[in-house]
Amino acid sequence: MAVTVGTLLAILCVAVIAYPLFRKNRYRMVSESFVTREKLRAERLRIYRKINDLESDYTSGDLTEDDYQQQRDQLRHAAAQLLMQETGAGSARERDIEEEIAQLRNQSSESLEGGDTVL
Amino acid sequence: MADLGLMSVLLGLALSAYAAIASVVGVKKRMPELLVSSSRSLHMTTLVTVVASLALITAFVQNDFSIKYVSDHSNTVMDRAFVWVAFYAGNQGSLLFILLVLVVASSLSVWLAPKRLARSMPWTIAILGATQFFYFFVLAFYASPFELNDVVPLDGRGINPLLTHPGMFSHPPLLMGGLITITIPFAFASGALIAGNYGDDWIDVARVTSIISWGVLGAGMLLGAWWAYTILGWGGYWAWDPIENVALMPWLVMTAFIHSIMVQKRRGMFRMWNIAMLNIGFVLAQLGMFINRGGPVVSVHSFASSTLGVIFLSFMMISLVFAFALFLWRMPELKSDRAMESFMSREASFLINNFLFLAVMAVTLWGVLFPLFSDLARDVSVSVSAPYFDRANGPILLGIVLMMGIGPLLPWRKSSARSLKQWFVWPTIVGIITIIVLVLFGVKRPVAILSFGVVAFVAAAILEEWWRGTVSRHRAGDNWALAWWRLVNGNRPRHGGYIVHISILMLGLGIIGTNFYQQRTDGALGLGESLVIDNYRVEYVSNGDASRSDRIAQWAEMSVFNIDRQDYIEEFEFAEAQGADGFTIRDSSLRPNDEYIGQIEPWHGFYLDFNMASVRSGIRSTIAEDLYVIPRDFLADGRVSVAVSINPLAWWLWASGPFFVIGTMVALWPQPSVERRKMPTSSKEAGD
Repeated sequence: MAVTVGTLLAILCVAVIAYPLFRKNRYRMVSESFVTREKLRAERLRIYRKINDLESDYTSGDLTEDDYQQQRDQLRHAAAQLLMQETGAGSARERDIEEEIAQLRNQSSESLEGGDTVL
Repeated sequence: MADLGLMSVLLGLALSAYAAIASVVGVKKRMPELLVSSSRSLHMTTLVTVVASLALITAFVQNDFSIKYVSDHSNTVMDRAFVWVAFYAGNQGSLLFILLVLVVASSLSVWLAPKRLARSMPWTIAILGATQFFYFFVLAFYASPFELNDVVPLDGRGINPLLTHPGMFSHPPLLMGGLITITIPFAFASGALIAGNYGDDWIDVARVTSIISWGVLGAGMLLGAWWAYTILGWGGYWAWDPIENVALMPWLVMTAFIHSIMVQKRRGMFRMWNIAMLNIGFVLAQLGMFINRGGPVVSVHSFASSTLGVIFLSFMMISLVFAFALFLWRMPELKSDRAMESFMSREASFLINNFLFLAVMAVTLWGVLFPLFSDLARDVSVSVSAPYFDRANGPILLGIVLMMGIGPLLPWRKSSARSLKQWFVWPTIVGIITIIVLVLFGVKRPVAILSFGVVAFVAAAILEEWWRGTVSRHRAGDNWALAWWRLVNGNRPRHGGYIVHISILMLGLGIIGTNFYQQRTDGALGLGESLVIDNYRVEYVSNGDASRSDRIAQWAEMSVFNIDRQDYIEEFEFAEAQGADGFTIRDSSLRPNDEYIGQIEPWHGFYLDFNMASVRSGIRSTIAEDLYVIPRDFLADGRVSVAVSINPLAWWLWASGPFFVIGTMVALWPQPSVERRKMPTSSKEAGD
């Protein structure tokens, strides 16, 4: 009984890890633009968090009015710049996607079941 | 079950090796299908380890004594509730448990990791896979919990009696889990470095996983101290034992890390430093495994030792070389964008606190390794005992507590004389008043008085922070409770940290009280006789037998009386002349002011198969002090030999636990989304 369960477990493991190897066209490397956009977004959220902390510090009396205004303006400016860069990265990503679709059309007749999986 | 368990371990060995190799090949050859496959392989190691663990637990439940590990760590009379404890009671099972925690934590962290780490994720998977491979390898070839007995015994040896305590359901798992999960932030940071991701993308994941690991390890140590206090009969809770120290050292470094990572998050500084801290934490965790498994130094935890020392030492050395070679390779890219503007700033205080944590770690490491060095140099193993650690670490720990109060009062970047005066005046006054009051009340020992003053200063600093923040919000229209709640909710990492600081202060009170003001006396009491110490009289009333097939056990019923020292003034004077804190009296008749306040039942057992004694101390606990009775032995003439102590402020040690856990959870609790509230609808709105 135990050996049967063990064997079934082994078969399941092999099936699960081997499956992607037989569906090569389903996967692609993440594009540079995608990673960049994600990073920019994360950085922007970090800045929002900093603004939040800054407000918390100011409300608690940790910061003077001048320091608060100055730091908040700097952070807002940085957030705005990141937002602009994100918009730029978004256009680059659209170009990437179009290029990849074109490549896939040429590459194989196999259909893209379930859409792309990005690792 | 043995076959299934062994097959699962061997499968895990193959899967972890595949995950490590396929992810490296996949990223080098740019083969996304191989990367997906390697990621799946890492998740499948969780499945097979769960199956292996269930196989072992089932074997315990079924009393399958054909498996050596089961017969070594359980028997038919073992309470079934202790199957969970028996699972990790020995070397092989504890390794399987450690692996179980590692694979589950690996799977969850990889699964939940943000997409922006996609480039470094294959390297993270490779590091996690390689670490898992090591543990599967040891389990498969050196310490299999599924090894069979040549002859199946009718009954097992039973579980180690020291482990039959409620604390054992959580203390060892938390300690092992805390140590092994340091691998997770290390893998994410190292993966980012290998992939050339030098920014701050990995720090959110590293911060969360580090705090989890640190919180689990801290809670495990605290539960261990409670276990030692209530069951081991040490009369104490921390003995600077090597195994305790190897858990403490990574915890100290991770404490430093979760402070300095805040500076990186907030100011973009300390990048190199943070990586170095994680590397040291990871290597120290491996050192802990080596000392625990290899047994190169004598420890009260010797039941967990084995002959695996060389293997764990090798893995630790490989970890050390890998971590610091990677660090040196990427060091030029890790320079921070900003320099420190002033030493009177929060980031500077964090740096000082980091140095202090490292100093305690270095002192402790030296004490742990000294027996090895002395053995190498002079062929004599010289152990370092508690007084060395107390004297060397005590002042540094006091410095850390002081910085705990100073750091949060300092602003980021730099501070002005006005702000320093504004923030420091009240905490300083409170600290000084505390010292004056203690001196006026005749409290002795200057170092302890100073320590109480520091604790009061830090407590006042935290309360001042909360007070000002709450008042500010209250003025804006919130009621008091809501104002405080919004203050904490507005910055959970910061205020969760303050709650943890409060727990450390409570711990500090307990440590100061028990270390500086403990009173202790010994005696052998016959029925009806009493032992008097300070303002207590402990009378031996009766006893009972609690022996079972595997143990000889007795308990004593003791009545506790509150006394007026004036009624015993002659006896006390005689005892003090002898240098003793207490004395024994044969006369059981009550003195006029003796007041019955309760009963305690200390217990003493001797386990025949293990040739080991185990005790349950009798404790009467109040906020001010514990009356603590250890039954050393029940003598043949009917007397019981006891050690009685008064441990001032010991209650605060254990009361700190819930605060520590709650503070950690508050700090970890995800912040409400800032994106919706803050995101400008256009770049113009954002002020551009």
